[in-house]
Amino acid sequence: MSEDSDAAANVTTTVPSQSLSNESVSKTQLAIQSLSSILTTAPPSLFSSINSAFSLLHDHEISSQISALLRQPDSGAGDNDLCRWFYDTFQSDYPHLQLVVLRFLPAIAGLYLSRISLRKPLAGFEAVLLALYAHETTSRDNQSITVSIPDLSHPSIYHESREHAKNNSTELNLGVISPALEPHGTVRSTRRARIVGVALELYYSKIDIMPVESKIEFCEFCEVWSGQDGEMYKELGGVVVENGENQETVKRDGRIPLPWELLQPVLRILGHCILGPKKDDKLFDSAFSACRSLYARSLHDINPKAILAFRSLLRLINTSLDPKSAVDYTEPSFSNVITI
Amino acid sequence: MVGSQSEESGEHDQQTVVLEVCANGVCMKTTDVEAKLDEGNIQEAESSLREGLSLNFEEARALLGRLEYQRGNVEGALRVFDGIDLQAATQRLQATVSEKQTSKKGRSKNDSQPTVPQHAASLVLEAIYLKAKSLQKLGRLNDAATECKSVLDAVEKIFCQGIPDVQVDDRLQDTVSLAVELLPELWKQAGCYQEAIAAYRRALLSQWNLDNDSCARIQKAFAVFLLHSGVEASPPSLAAQIDGSYVPKHNLEEAILLLMILNRKFCLGKIKWDPSIMEHLTFALSLCSQTSVLAKQLEEIMPGVLHRVDRWNNLALCCCGSGHNKAALNLLQKSLHKHEAPDDLVALLLAAKICSEDSHLAAEGVGYARRAIMIAEGTDAHLKGVAIRMLGLCLGKQAKVSSSDFERSSLQSQALKSLDDAIAFEKSNPDLIFELVHRSVGGSVLKGWRFLALVLSAQQRFSEAEVITDAALDETAKWEQGPLLRLKAKLKTSQSLHTDAIENYRHLLALVQAQRKSFTPSKSITQAEDDKVNEFEVWHGLADLYSRLSPLERFMCQGRGQAQEALYAHINSFLLDKSYVPCKILMGALLSKMGANALPVARSILSDALRLEPTNRMAWYYLGMVHRDDGRISDATDCFQAASMLQESDPIECFSSIL
Repeated sequence: MSEDSDAAANVTTTVPSQSLSNESVSKTQLAIQSLSSILTTAPPSLFSSINSAFSLLHDHEISSQISALLRQPDSGAGDNDLCRWFYDTFQSDYPHLQLVVLRFLPAIAGLYLSRISLRKPLAGFEAVLLALYAHETTSRDNQSITVSIPDLSHPSIYHESREHAKNNSTELNLGVISPALEPHGTVRSTRRARIVGVALELYYSKIDIMPVESKIEFCEFCEVWSGQDGEMYKELGGVVVENGENQETVKRDGRIPLPWELLQPVLRILGHCILGPKKDDKLFDSAFSACRSLYARSLHDINPKAILAFRSLLRLINTSLDPKSAVDYTEPSFSNVITI
Repeated sequence: MVGSQSEESGEHDQQTVVLEVCANGVCMKTTDVEAKLDEGNIQEAESSLREGLSLNFEEARALLGRLEYQRGNVEGALRVFDGIDLQAATQRLQATVSEKQTSKKGRSKNDSQPTVPQHAASLVLEAIYLKAKSLQKLGRLNDAATECKSVLDAVEKIFCQGIPDVQVDDRLQDTVSLAVELLPELWKQAGCYQEAIAAYRRALLSQWNLDNDSCARIQKAFAVFLLHSGVEASPPSLAAQIDGSYVPKHNLEEAILLLMILNRKFCLGKIKWDPSIMEHLTFALSLCSQTSVLAKQLEEIMPGVLHRVDRWNNLALCCCGSGHNKAALNLLQKSLHKHEAPDDLVALLLAAKICSEDSHLAAEGVGYARRAIMIAEGTDAHLKGVAIRMLGLCLGKQAKVSSSDFERSSLQSQALKSLDDAIAFEKSNPDLIFELVHRSVGGSVLKGWRFLALVLSAQQRFSEAEVITDAALDETAKWEQGPLLRLKAKLKTSQSLHTDAIENYRHLLALVQAQRKSFTPSKSITQAEDDKVNEFEVWHGLADLYSRLSPLERFMCQGRGQAQEALYAHINSFLLDKSYVPCKILMGALLSKMGANALPVARSILSDALRLEPTNRMAWYYLGMVHRDDGRISDATDCFQAASMLQESDPIECFSSIL
């Protein structure tokens, strides 16, 4: 089953028709009309379909046109029509249209970060990224996202504890996943990674609705960002993987600084692409490849947390590729004598 | 119960082995029945079973379905199972059980009760389970999940207190365990994630009397789902929460809880070692920067499971990840001992990195880095540049505590050479370039930033130089911002952003005056000199700026009041400082504009400036102007040429300003 149709099924179930109010329909129509003036050819299906925001998200033809436009050399400029469309569409505050903008976040963030050192105009990309950042700033309401690590000497919903809690002072380890957000009106170099990172966190929160092509694009940019070739880590974990296609190793020149605030959402997204419930071979391969490159990069940076996380991902991939791991424990055991 | 190893081997068995069915003490070969089934004649197959084994209709059907399933004919199995009214059968069972329970007032301890209902239940539930499996294999996942769920619903109704430990027969327990494990898997495959989450929690929070292995498998599968599905599960219901117990707030917490429980189970010997549990836990805890917790989890695992070198190296990564470099280095010293694994490249690099941050460890780090350079071959060749970089960093750090000048300068030059070599390996690594800059300048990070900004300004990349300056301002305390503000003002001036430039000079002036007034004896003089701006420089900068303003802008500036007068006053007082090159140039420039009589004086002053600073572009430029105005065109050309050549590589401030 392809992930696309699966995701499609998912969205249709989560979007009851009554939620398509008149207002949202007109917002969508407006967005489509302005998009059609930007694209070379807008497929007629776009205008006729009932849930147009949905088809905007999943229409292959439109996506590839937008992707091609995004990849033009000066697409990130402040006066770029497509960037303006992304910005306006996201500001429409209609969740289904916002998803369409998020769908292209991998390409926007990818091109943006890789182009910084090339001194190209980027105000358009920055406006879109800042809009996503501002959206998160508002919805998180000055709260940081934390993880309190359980202490197993206290019981939990999943286990009992025989050790009597010596004292009631629960010393929970509190990990901060994403600190509280300060509003930013411009992208300064020292805040750039954070702003893009938060946009990626927003992307991750909708990742199960995102079309597979969007995720593949993300994986491809991860490879570019890493600036490393990770081929030598194909066999990490001891399982030899067949070398499908022999890609020539290209000199990579999109390498960017990878601080933790970017790496962390990257890890979560790649984890989903590799170990998520929907299986898609092409996505898996891209994510595997991205993971190898980023592992190589984490060694270059001698970044312990990244080394641990990416190495674990690679080992898990190799375990999952091992045919021995494919035992189906839900198959009843049989003997040659069937009894009642 | 262990699942069959694989489909293939199952089919292989069927070809060679004849199946038998046994019931009520009678056994019969299935060859004839199978032949009838193959002809599509279910009823005849059924009646031959009923006659041969004296079974009732449902029993015969269940047996037939199982036979078909076991033969790999899932469509056939489905046809057979469709013939049984499973719902009616379960309802009948419920009725008998509840009757029995009410008449006996609870469960009897003395289990002499014939197990008829259980036996019948087991038969029916197994049939439903196999039906679900058949549907799954046919890709009808939603139907499969519905059937599978009905098994669990029925069990919950029949045994309303949960499944008692002792009283359930093995076969029924097997079916229940399988169904508990299958249901979330089916919802997951069907893409119904909320149902899957509910099914996982139902599996783990209700009483199903699962064995350790299957419970562990479900816990692990759920943890993986929570970590990677991208679907946020709402927190578990209040009903599941006991007072004072830990209740996870979101996916990541729930996943970490489950994985930690699994690790605990392994440590207590309840389940066998599954390395992937540790990998998932490593991923999850690194993700939330809790590698110190991960270290504790690793320490809980008894020795022998992980090789001690792996254990030390993993622990070292955890310690270093949580900032405990000293502990990390202790562990690495053990693992890199010559009798252990002295050639582990990652360990060597990590050790070198830790040492490079402490001048008293730097010498040790040099050793690690050298060994890393030696062994970085083959698939690890890409890390050679990293090892060389580490060598450079360690040498540079070592130089700081060196006892003799000779040794220090030798270490420094080795350090620079290593960093330079490393660039050949990692051309696109800006960190490295910055590191090199930083070392060359030999000072603080602030100096590194300034150097970078100057290099950019020399390439006429003013806006980028400004970005660097802003970044540096972000990272620098107010008191030390002087040189940066000066740099920024000059950058603004070069970009003809005069108002911005004036604004920057005002800030700078305020800072400089504040610094002059406050006396800080704790600071050594050199350090104080290092990050302080001479007030004269500010005035000079302002004078330069002012000379660039257009009349209109000058008029606009009048409003700024006394600044102007102060400016002139200061220029006058400082112009007398003969050894200050910018003044000479400024004076030369002013004189060159004052008509023919002043030209010789201008020429001499500018030549003087060039004697002091031969690469000063502006001096060449104004000298050229003087020559031109004096009619010496070829001399003028030479001067302009020199000026233009210098301009191409002229930083906004002299590089020596940061030395």
